[in-house]
Amino acid sequence: MNQRVLTIRRDIQAEQKADAAAERERLGQRGTLVVNLLSSPGAGKTALLEATARHFAGRRSMAVLVGDLETDRDAQRLAPLVPVAQLTTGGACHLELPLVKRGLQALGDPAVDFLFIENVGNLVCPASHDLAEHLRVVLISTTEGDDKPGKYPKMFRTSQAMVVTKLDLLPHVPFTLEAVTADALKIQPELEVLSTCALDGRGIQEWCDFLEQQYQEKIESVYEPAGNQ
Amino acid sequence: MHERSLVQTLLKQVQQIVADDGGGRVKEIQVQVGDLSGVEPLLFEAAFAELAANVFSEECGLLLEVVPVKAECSLCGQRFEVQNYEFLCPVCGRGPVDVTQGDQVKLMSITVDSEDMVEGVKS
Ligand SMILES: [Zn+2]
Repeated sequence: MNQRVLTIRRDIQAEQKADAAAERERLGQRGTLVVNLLSSPGAGKTALLEATARHFAGRRSMAVLVGDLETDRDAQRLAPLVPVAQLTTGGACHLELPLVKRGLQALGDPAVDFLFIENVGNLVCPASHDLAEHLRVVLISTTEGDDKPGKYPKMFRTSQAMVVTKLDLLPHVPFTLEAVTADALKIQPELEVLSTCALDGRGIQEWCDFLEQQYQEKIESVYEPAGNQ
Repeated sequence: MHERSLVQTLLKQVQQIVADDGGGRVKEIQVQVGDLSGVEPLLFEAAFAELAANVFSEECGLLLEVVPVKAECSLCGQRFEVQNYEFLCPVCGRGPVDVTQGDQVKLMSITVDSEDMVEGVKS
């Protein structure tokens, strides 16, 4: 009997990462910044997107792909405000690129300024999947505890921004912005930290300014204003 | 529990690689999982035990190696092992660091039995 050993030494996700990079390039070139939003369930991704849509109304075009395990409730909330497509994972804990591409097709592949992907609520699995985003944002609500970053290092390490949500509850919970920021910066020293309250609008201006600045840095100054109508 | 989808990706690649290399029975797959890969080794092993049985006719082993996270400071060039997920350069304390190991799941090698082939004769 012959036995042979094939030496491979390859990232098993190399192919998916290359696909994601190509899609990111395609979307960037035609002027779309892709933002992947991740968090635990109930951290307020949909509420942040509603506030963002209201802020950008008439100024910036956007569309949303909503990942959900089963229902389309979040998509229904956003539909009156922006073009939205539902990605149902059928119980899977994370989104993968083929599903995102299908959702984009369902929307007619619109050349919007911002394409938001509302990922499935989960701080573990989505961190390992590149969805062609230019910007990865992790949300953490004040009700979750300020030691979350250290418990989910991959998620915080691979994000470029952290948005603290539900600022209005801060007086009622054992959570400080200082502690969560310090915890997160150990893992990702270059993390941009923002804090918001979608209910009363606190921090929404700053969040949208940050998105504008990211658009400038990652799209306009990289690709020139070629694809802008 | 995305380990299942990662194992599926892995098994598909192994089948393709072995087929391209002339085929044979896959005896063992060696995989390296980084501490920052987002993969839980126990869940990965459980998913493998379940899914590999559907793909390979005979028992196929998994050799899973967990590797620590290593990084390099982009300011001073210091290379170090990351402890407790603290990504700060231990020398200059300032530089943003690049992860050089431990954020991936890697297929390292595949051990194949080619018992169906008579030595030197390949039909
Ligand atoms: Zn240094």
